[in-house]
Amino acid sequence: MEKTFENALSELEQIVKELESGNVDLDVAIVKYTEAMKLVKFCNDKLNDATSKVNKILTEDNELKEFKTE
Amino acid sequence: MKDKYLKISEINNYIKSILDNDKFLNKVYLKGEISNFKNHTKGHLYFTLKDDTSRISAVMFLSSASKLTFEPEDGMNVLVEGRLSAYPAQGSYQIYIDKMEVDGIGALYIEFEKLKKKLAQEGLFDSLHKKKIPKYPERIGVVTASTGAAVRDIMSTIKRRYPLCEAILFPCLVQGKEASKDIVRQIKRADEFGVDTIIVGRGGGSIEDLWAFNEEIVARSIYECKTPIISAVGHEIDWTIADFVADLRAPTPTGAAEMAVPTVLDLNNILDNYKIRSNKFIKNYINTKFINLRNLKNSYVLKSPMSMYEIKMQKLDTYIDNLNNNIKIILNKKEQELDKIKLSYILQNPKALINEKRNKYSLLVNTLKLVNPLGILEKGYSLVTIDNKIIKSNKDLKENDIIDIRLHEGNVKAMVKEIEKG
Repeated sequence: MEKTFENALSELEQIVKELESGNVDLDVAIVKYTEAMKLVKFCNDKLNDATSKVNKILTEDNELKEFKTE
Repeated sequence: MKDKYLKISEINNYIKSILDNDKFLNKVYLKGEISNFKNHTKGHLYFTLKDDTSRISAVMFLSSASKLTFEPEDGMNVLVEGRLSAYPAQGSYQIYIDKMEVDGIGALYIEFEKLKKKLAQEGLFDSLHKKKIPKYPERIGVVTASTGAAVRDIMSTIKRRYPLCEAILFPCLVQGKEASKDIVRQIKRADEFGVDTIIVGRGGGSIEDLWAFNEEIVARSIYECKTPIISAVGHEIDWTIADFVADLRAPTPTGAAEMAVPTVLDLNNILDNYKIRSNKFIKNYINTKFINLRNLKNSYVLKSPMSMYEIKMQKLDTYIDNLNNNIKIILNKKEQELDKIKLSYILQNPKALINEKRNKYSLLVNTLKLVNPLGILEKGYSLVTIDNKIIKSNKDLKENDIIDIRLHEGNVKAMVKEIEKG
């Protein structure tokens, strides 16, 4: 399953807190830092995704169609 | 002449009989506003019904009044059913009311209060049942009419604030008789379809327009819905039953969308904050490690390892010196002790010691002799025994016993010749 924005964000929060706690070895710190930067990028990409979702309507035939508000 | 004059009671009773016999007036339906309302101690209600230009007296006896589902009061618009008759004593006609209900908005208001009270008692509004609205929804269900301001406001606000969320419309009627059923059906569809949050609502309107959101079935479907629901019915001042049951109440449809999703801007700020903190941390961390390393490299030991050795050497020398000194001191002390012993009286005069010991010995021998039980024999006493037992009385003996007599010098055996009595 694709990682959700929410999961990525809370993971990022976790890592930053862990780093700031100061109880990490150098090797781990670098791995965690790299992971944090990856998550930041992932979230940024999601947020700034140009192809944002279109509004939809669920019809009586259970069909998802694009819905345009006038 | 006098006969043509009627008594008041006669004319009043005549009029009453005409009214009572009129088919029309036997059952009349009236609508009007209550005024001069009096609740008689016996439970009968007396008041006036009026419209803009006319008024009529009204009576509602206890038997009918006890069936009322509301408290009548002045200014209330009511629909009544009853018969018209006269009251001869007063010369007035009035309506005797059998049934009365609140007219229009008043009726809706009472219904609203009744349902609100009932559902509150059942616990449908308890904060205990309120579900948390997801912070970062991926998909939001919108249950409202497919046309009008509400749907436009909700969907455009979601898209503007948080474009990574998908908004799906579940179109429904929002007013009229069929609206409540339609709302219930679409809430259920949205719930089953699988969305993170559902927004249920409509734009502003009169209390009748919003009425579907005050229906019990709508309230119950919101309560039973597993997905968190934000209600957004009408304007800020409009409170519907749906608002009380919903997990969160928004003042307007736009407000509902704002409550449902964060803004990209806020999230970018949060992300930037994490990024800055991570960078700051790693920079500080590596910096600290560098400083630690430099300190170690510069440390005295690593810089001049020989100096460590020199210190140890010096220490060892000190130890050896100390050891030598101590041994000398001990030897001296022991030598002195030995000299002291050599000079002692005993070692200087060994004979005196021997004499002393000899004198002590003969003294002891003499003392022993004095206390030796056999020593007494020397003085001429003798010891008589039989079978190694000392005889102290002639009762221990009989004639012809062989006894042993121990003298100072030598022993003899003798036989007892006679035992003297006495």
